[in-house]
Amino acid sequence: MSAPHTEDHSALPGPLAGLRVLELADAKGQFCGKLMADLGADVLKIEPPGGQHTRLVGPFLDDIPHRERSLFFWHYNTSKRGLTLNLEHPDGQALFRRLVSTADIVLETFPPGYLATLGLGYDALAPLNPRLIMCSLTPFGQTGPWRDFVSSDLLQLAAGGQMSCCGYDPEDVPDAPPIAPGGGNAWHIGSHFAYMAIMAAVYYRDMTGVGQYIDASIHEACALTTEAAGTTYIYTGKVVQRHTGRAASFDKSEPTQFMTKDGLWVNTTRTGFNLTPARLRRLATMMEQYGLAQDLLDEKYQNRATIQENLAHIAEVLEHFFTSVPQEDAWRAGQEQGLPWGGVRSMDEIIDDPHLHDRDFFTEVEHPELGRRFIYPGGAAIYNASPWRICRRAPLIGEHNVEIFCGELGLQREKLTLLAESGVI
Amino acid sequence: MTLNIRTPRGLEIAKRLAAMSDIVIENFSSRVMQKWGLGYAELRQLRPDMIYVSMAGFGHIGRNHHYTTMGPSAQALSGQTFLSGLPGQPPAGWGWSYLDDTGGMYGVMCALTALRHRNATGQGQHVDLSQMTMGITLTGAAFLDRTVNGRPARREGYPPGNRAVWPGAPLLNNYRGPTVAPHNAYRTQGGGYNDWCVIACFSDHEWQNLVGVMGSPTWATDAKFTTLSERIQHQEELDQGIEHWTQTLEKYALTETCQAAGVRAMAVQSAEDRVEHDPQLRARGFYAELDHPLLGRRKIQGIPFKLSRSPAEIYWPAPLIGQHTRAVLEELLGLSVQDIRDGYADGTLWPTGMPMYPYIEEALA
Repeated sequence: MSAPHTEDHSALPGPLAGLRVLELADAKGQFCGKLMADLGADVLKIEPPGGQHTRLVGPFLDDIPHRERSLFFWHYNTSKRGLTLNLEHPDGQALFRRLVSTADIVLETFPPGYLATLGLGYDALAPLNPRLIMCSLTPFGQTGPWRDFVSSDLLQLAAGGQMSCCGYDPEDVPDAPPIAPGGGNAWHIGSHFAYMAIMAAVYYRDMTGVGQYIDASIHEACALTTEAAGTTYIYTGKVVQRHTGRAASFDKSEPTQFMTKDGLWVNTTRTGFNLTPARLRRLATMMEQYGLAQDLLDEKYQNRATIQENLAHIAEVLEHFFTSVPQEDAWRAGQEQGLPWGGVRSMDEIIDDPHLHDRDFFTEVEHPELGRRFIYPGGAAIYNASPWRICRRAPLIGEHNVEIFCGELGLQREKLTLLAESGVI
Repeated sequence: MTLNIRTPRGLEIAKRLAAMSDIVIENFSSRVMQKWGLGYAELRQLRPDMIYVSMAGFGHIGRNHHYTTMGPSAQALSGQTFLSGLPGQPPAGWGWSYLDDTGGMYGVMCALTALRHRNATGQGQHVDLSQMTMGITLTGAAFLDRTVNGRPARREGYPPGNRAVWPGAPLLNNYRGPTVAPHNAYRTQGGGYNDWCVIACFSDHEWQNLVGVMGSPTWATDAKFTTLSERIQHQEELDQGIEHWTQTLEKYALTETCQAAGVRAMAVQSAEDRVEHDPQLRARGFYAELDHPLLGRRKIQGIPFKLSRSPAEIYWPAPLIGQHTRAVLEELLGLSVQDIRDGYADGTLWPTGMPMYPYIEEALA
């Protein structure tokens, strides 16, 4: 292997070790904070006293709603430390300013202008820490006619163009609406770009010693993330049409998604894609093991032109093959012959994938207060010198108040009690 | 630039360029670069602090590393396709290669992250990114609902289209946010292909605001829509009532009217809408214009963040094939024009026998 794990790999610090992030982010930006935390940054998630509203989003552990049992919150807040702080209280603001002088990065998702009204905007914070990088990640950015619009994942996917690309061919589902894919991906897309912008600013700071302010727009991030839909319009003037389970296009493309014997689906390539005579023969040999190759082993197909002339027939044979074997067999059959097919998997299939086990993707995370351990999704990449890994579960509400406010900022325990009783923490 | 790495001279040029680069980033199938002698193990000998980002479908590590993906198959295998669609219908999936876009973004993220690590420690590294794997985490809390609660992913009423919960299905979260109603797409005036909007009310208060915007029609003031659980129970009727109203309005007018009242509503925008009609993107200057050497002045999609001190900028359009071959080889490697002409003739820099484009001929003159 080109990048083997070293024995003590998991004990190494992550690539962002040494960076401190103050996260004032809700659903819109907490994924950006998670990326930084899982990659080794010290991310302090600052919640209002009593916990952030994201803790009220389900699903919940064992379906028992509770601020400490939100799987939504758990997923997006791994490896962070948790503080509570009332930023609308002068004492809370004073503590926040002290934290800012210890921080490299502030990530916030409040409505534009909100922090400035509290005296906590970039202009007020930068003098405390000229090296500070502050990123405001908001639905539409800090300027423009929509800057104060209320939003949601669904709204961003409508505005950004995702929905206009996703849906069904009319013969599959007549009168289908444009579809917004699930999973909260508008927030993921925004968080990816915020992460990039922050890391670019960190690099600039490494070179120059100075921080800066970043105005990141989720709308623009989504508008950029529709691959060819934007350029198709810009260069051809055409608007794409939605197709079932494949790329939107202005023409009618051929289906690439087929049902398998077990009622699941596979997503394949256009029939002619990469279909050399040698590959077709290997594919047909494999299909013949199921008795499903029909005439594809015939010598006449050992000719590129014949393959191209018979694509419709080959597609029929393949479709029959798909309906006759289980999903897992179908997509792996293509992969073993070098064709980039994929089963439309749900989590039910994904959690058993041995390849992901090989990559240590499934990460066991301890929840000591529950006496239980759960499996989380790990890093998308393996860094061979500095691991991407979840180092602890999401923080409990105010879990690290004592550690930070007393241990680091030197507050007396009695003072902490006073702050709690007066609604500051 | 263009380069035939399968020739000894091409391979040598690739190695010389790698040795003077901070970052090598590649998305060949796993083992291809190693076969050419350009794997991380080889290249780090030339430059120990090299950052080397590999972006293969399944990654370089793991028993199926030889599997390949394109956007749609990575989306299928990662669970992304499954979570898009209407219940009881085929998966709608993603209407473009979402994970190709996103794979590129992760490539940048990995490179910048490793750069930061190198700035802090002096150490380079290999980053083995897997396109398929990255999509799994992007299913949100779906993963933990399966591994922690043991909830089967394949279940009645899931995925619920644009709704937070499908009528009649169990009241389970769908990993997009809170379970609320209304939360759907609705037709707007004109009835065209993209004449749609979305509306979501996250609280009873927001629902009351929507009722007000709609002019408090009798149906909407019925007590059966007052609370969230009642709106979910009567969701079909609720959505019909709302759509009856949205069809009377043009989608941008509807957006403005709703937003002025604090109602979460937005036009479904096509690419044409974003480029021509979106006032926000216009105000932010998102579609600037650039001169393309062959196609003239064209709009180009911008950068979604503004850095106050070191703004990102699109300096020029994507290069033409081999547009900068001569410049790179001359400026970075000090090759003479004659060396470069030889490379074009002997198959190192251009396929033998293939006519060269006029701009390349000009560059070699």
